Amino acid sequence: MPYLGMQPHPSSMTRRDSLRLGGLTAFGLGLGDWFNLRTRAAAPPVKARACILIWLDGGPSHLETFDPKPDAPQEVRGPFAAIPTSVPGIHLAEVLPNTAKIMDKIAIVRSITSPLGEHGLANHYLLTGYKPTAALQYPSFGSVVAHHQPRGVMPAYVALPDIKQLPAAGSGFMGRAMQPFAINGDPAKGDFRVRDLEFSPQVPEDRIRRRQGFLSQLDRFHRAADEAAAPVDGAFEQAFRLVTSPKAKQAFDLSQETPETRARYGPRTIGQSCLLARRLVEAGAAFVTINNTGWDTHADLSLRLKDGYAGAKVGVGLVPSFDMAFAALVGDLRDRGLLDQTLVIAMGEFGRTPKLNTSRGRDHWPRVFSAAFAGGGIGGGQVIGASDRVGESPAARPVTPSDLAATIYTLLGVDPKSELTTPDGRPIRINQDGTLVRELLA
Amino acid sequence: MIRACLVSMALAALWYAAPGDGAAARAITPVALAVPQAFSVDFDTQIVPILTRSGCNAGACHGAAAGRGGFHLSLFGGDPAQDHDSIVNELEGRRVNPLKPIESLLIAKPSERIKHRGGYRIEKQSPAEELLAQWIAAGAPRAKSPPKLTFFEVTPAMRVVEEFKDGQASVPLVARAGFDGRPPRDVTAWTLFVSADPMAVEIEDEPARAIVRRRGQHILIARFMNRVVPIRLIAPFGQAAVDHSRQPRANFIDDHILDQLSMLRLDVSARAGDAAFFRRVHLDLIGRLPEKRALQSFLGDSALDKRAKLVDRLLASEEFVEFWTFKLANLLGNRPMPNDSQSAAAFHGWLAAELRQRRPLDQIARQMITALGDTRTVGPAYFTRLSGDARAQAERFSQAFMGVRMQCANCHNHPLDRWTQDDYHGLAAIFAKLERGPVVKLAPRGAVTNPRTSEPALPRLPALRMLDAEGDHRQALADWLTAPENSHFARSLANRLWQSMFGRGLVDPVDDLRSTNPGTHPELLDRLAADLVARGYDARRTLRLIALSETYNRSSTPTPTNRVDDLFYSHFPTRPLQTQVLADAWSDVTGVADRYGQEPPGTRAIALIHAAIPSVSLDILGRCSRQDSCQEDGTGDGGGLAGLLHRLNGPFLNERLASPDGRLGKLIRQGRSVDDILEEFYLTALGRKQDDAERAFWRSQASGVADGQRAAWLEDAIWALLNSREFTTNH
Repeated sequence: MPYLGMQPHPSSMTRRDSLRLGGLTAFGLGLGDWFNLRTRAAAPPVKARACILIWLDGGPSHLETFDPKPDAPQEVRGPFAAIPTSVPGIHLAEVLPNTAKIMDKIAIVRSITSPLGEHGLANHYLLTGYKPTAALQYPSFGSVVAHHQPRGVMPAYVALPDIKQLPAAGSGFMGRAMQPFAINGDPAKGDFRVRDLEFSPQVPEDRIRRRQGFLSQLDRFHRAADEAAAPVDGAFEQAFRLVTSPKAKQAFDLSQETPETRARYGPRTIGQSCLLARRLVEAGAAFVTINNTGWDTHADLSLRLKDGYAGAKVGVGLVPSFDMAFAALVGDLRDRGLLDQTLVIAMGEFGRTPKLNTSRGRDHWPRVFSAAFAGGGIGGGQVIGASDRVGESPAARPVTPSDLAATIYTLLGVDPKSELTTPDGRPIRINQDGTLVRELLA
Repeated sequence: MIRACLVSMALAALWYAAPGDGAAARAITPVALAVPQAFSVDFDTQIVPILTRSGCNAGACHGAAAGRGGFHLSLFGGDPAQDHDSIVNELEGRRVNPLKPIESLLIAKPSERIKHRGGYRIEKQSPAEELLAQWIAAGAPRAKSPPKLTFFEVTPAMRVVEEFKDGQASVPLVARAGFDGRPPRDVTAWTLFVSADPMAVEIEDEPARAIVRRRGQHILIARFMNRVVPIRLIAPFGQAAVDHSRQPRANFIDDHILDQLSMLRLDVSARAGDAAFFRRVHLDLIGRLPEKRALQSFLGDSALDKRAKLVDRLLASEEFVEFWTFKLANLLGNRPMPNDSQSAAAFHGWLAAELRQRRPLDQIARQMITALGDTRTVGPAYFTRLSGDARAQAERFSQAFMGVRMQCANCHNHPLDRWTQDDYHGLAAIFAKLERGPVVKLAPRGAVTNPRTSEPALPRLPALRMLDAEGDHRQALADWLTAPENSHFARSLANRLWQSMFGRGLVDPVDDLRSTNPGTHPELLDRLAADLVARGYDARRTLRLIALSETYNRSSTPTPTNRVDDLFYSHFPTRPLQTQVLADAWSDVTGVADRYGQEPPGTRAIALIHAAIPSVSLDILGRCSRQDSCQEDGTGDGGGLAGLLHRLNGPFLNERLASPDGRLGKLIRQGRSVDDILEEFYLTALGRKQDDAERAFWRSQASGVADGQRAAWLEDAIWALLNSREFTTNH
């Protein structure tokens, strides 16, 4: 099933695009050629049109999820056993039974390595592909991908529920216009709806359109004194496009899903967020970040990761909730024929110490950790790289966050070698020194 | 443990500018540096610099708190004694082998004779390797009293870079060091140079030089032993010289700014008109839009000193007190405690009273540092309660009063500044002798542990001297902080005052003052600070000086050539209004106040004592809840798309525009014409009259609107006005 044909807004090409188009046309290339350039001969064909990033904030333990060490000593092994998956030879932690069943759709990178073990710094590295520097705040994947979208009615980049505590997922030097749309609410709540999406009864659509006209004229007047000024950022234009499209607004409405579908994703925030993310990318959003917090498990792994609360009969902790949501999302996308076009990523900013600490938890460990991928042109059923016997260092095929960034961009059809321009006019490469993790591609 | 080290992004850059990152990524290669054979090699002054220069003790390598690969060095060689111990005594001494120095791990690893995860750091047969080998062969000694670094200088310290060729310019770098007062020698080869922005300036070797690739001002850091020194390189924007000698100058601020602009070859924008200045200075000094009547009389006034009179009037107003109480409350993080809102109110009231009586800033700070008593009645004592423990108070103290991020020195000596772990924990030890209950009182037995020594930290005046283990040292701390020879306090205050007028500090971020972050105009900041001290720490006098400078009076409209500048004040920087100021401005223009929690109707957002009071609008529009100190004077992203939707579809503006008791409702009831009503809103919201083009536009739009639709049409027009860029920014 194709994406619901959300049409780009007529005057929607970014200024950059039109400049580029202008340049190409001057050399005798037509529009079709330009679109074909997206998949240049050298680069692998691009299948993904959207990305859902399930951000496991705080640093999920690789040992309790995608990289179990059943043969390691007890103080490394941790509280969970390993289980086989649908792919012979690949094991996951026992708290991921649903994911294990669809392992053939999933690729795991087990050898991500980074020197940054502090949340803020590591967030920036993992979400932008750049180590933090004083000189510049780099944009996150979501913002860069949004920048490459023709402007449509759907916000290109959406955050569920917000990134208030995760500034690295923001737009960095790209400014307000590329900040994600934060829905500021919990999709798992019964009365969930995105605030202020519907017209106020007193101010119907014709008045909203009138306001849009007035506002753009006022900003033109204000700029008149400064003729060469850059156009005002299109933030309000996005708001007008969104509220005047009933179809786009429906995408935010979870009540349109059947109870069965809602149940499939699980009743908790991460599940309903994954379901909402699926609706959003179906409607044309290019990047959705689900900010799932709580993974900074310095104490009581078993309680936090599995049970959820003391004495739980069925685990409702972080991993089972994630497992249900992730497997449902991948399965649902596949059922709808959307998996190939949608890249799903599950990762956090680092892994956790190989040895349990005295509080039965694990501390920050960036030297080796894992991430999971599905759809969007990746090859499922594989493990890339490996950590050593105790999950302490990469044992094979080390992958840096910068490599991951290059790979994610490539999968999404953004050339990692192309450049962005900062507000003061300096060119910045989208990815500095990452190499494509080619094995990940199907 | 989780708290660990909140290293700012800014620090991280240089801290993690470790091997592999541009500047530092180079193995030491042979250079013409004669190493006299008979020379005995000193550990502290010769070996440690090699480790620093080669990246071994950087934060990403062995300098990490946990070390790397089982080998831990102090960050950038901050603790040579400990490093000597790690190298010589750990691992059964395998790191040094005096019989076969080259087989010592200390050499074999970084030269990749055997596998080294950190890669190739020290070239075989290089002077560095030879020095290491000699030192090991001599038995890896460490002098009982190593030579003291008494002199360190880098040239250039500042340089205007003119000679661009093929888009880049090369600047040679030289470092010289002197020990124990002896004549300095060249230590360039052992000095680590790091570019703050490797894409703008790259460091190359043999000979050491900076390759400048971009125009503007760039900062490099040179590190040798415990010294970190900034280097400023200025590459002019324009081709032709710019002559500012005839530009009007009101005071020394203009001299500094214009000198810098001449160096950068940037021209300046024209003087802002009266109406623009009137609105600007109201928003910056009292956080409010000007009143219509005052505007008209200002515009009609032909006195030459009318801007000065205006500034004086604003500085003397109660609105000034209210707005600056809000700013101080943000800085100090004033917020109520569970079950005690009275104390926060007392603190807020005390701050306002102090500002009202023009209490000098040093005295305000002294009272907060030294106060004891029941916080429900003794306002300044609440400062102590606002920090959960002594360490948090040490951090808040240094951040608020010195503009310094001392946090880093909790776990290790500050990598980019002079602060040591002893400074950090010594400062905390002073605050440890306080009991932070509803009544703040002395707790003589209070202490904090210094993780370096695992013993109770001794109270200490930062970077100055140890104090007695016993006793209350807050008075001594207040004396030290506010002494004229201690520049931290005055520079940090002057910088914040500047920030409040221009949206950014002369050093930015304003809580990260250190020699390695010199900012755009370090000399101007020094001068402003000295001036602040000379004027008895009177904030109003510094603000007046700034407000009357030609720099502040410049138009925000750039010229075609100074558009590239967003740091050097060639035109006034346009910036978004702070959330609370904008919220109040919307209330004022619509004539209907927003409601905040249970506060009385009409309470202004900037007057809220409880910054996190329930308010859907402030939540959506984005605000600082004062859990930490609120450093940013600007806004976040205005709530992004969610904030815009709220302004568009939410009750926030719509209800107030439609309210019969609002400004619009009243004007309509009075039967005023559309023209008249719009003019009224232009004056109140934008502080100016419509121009002809605008008037013509609105007339054409209004024609044909049916009588019954006029109110709605006006609501939409005013809505657009209140969301325009002109309204939502200070410019």
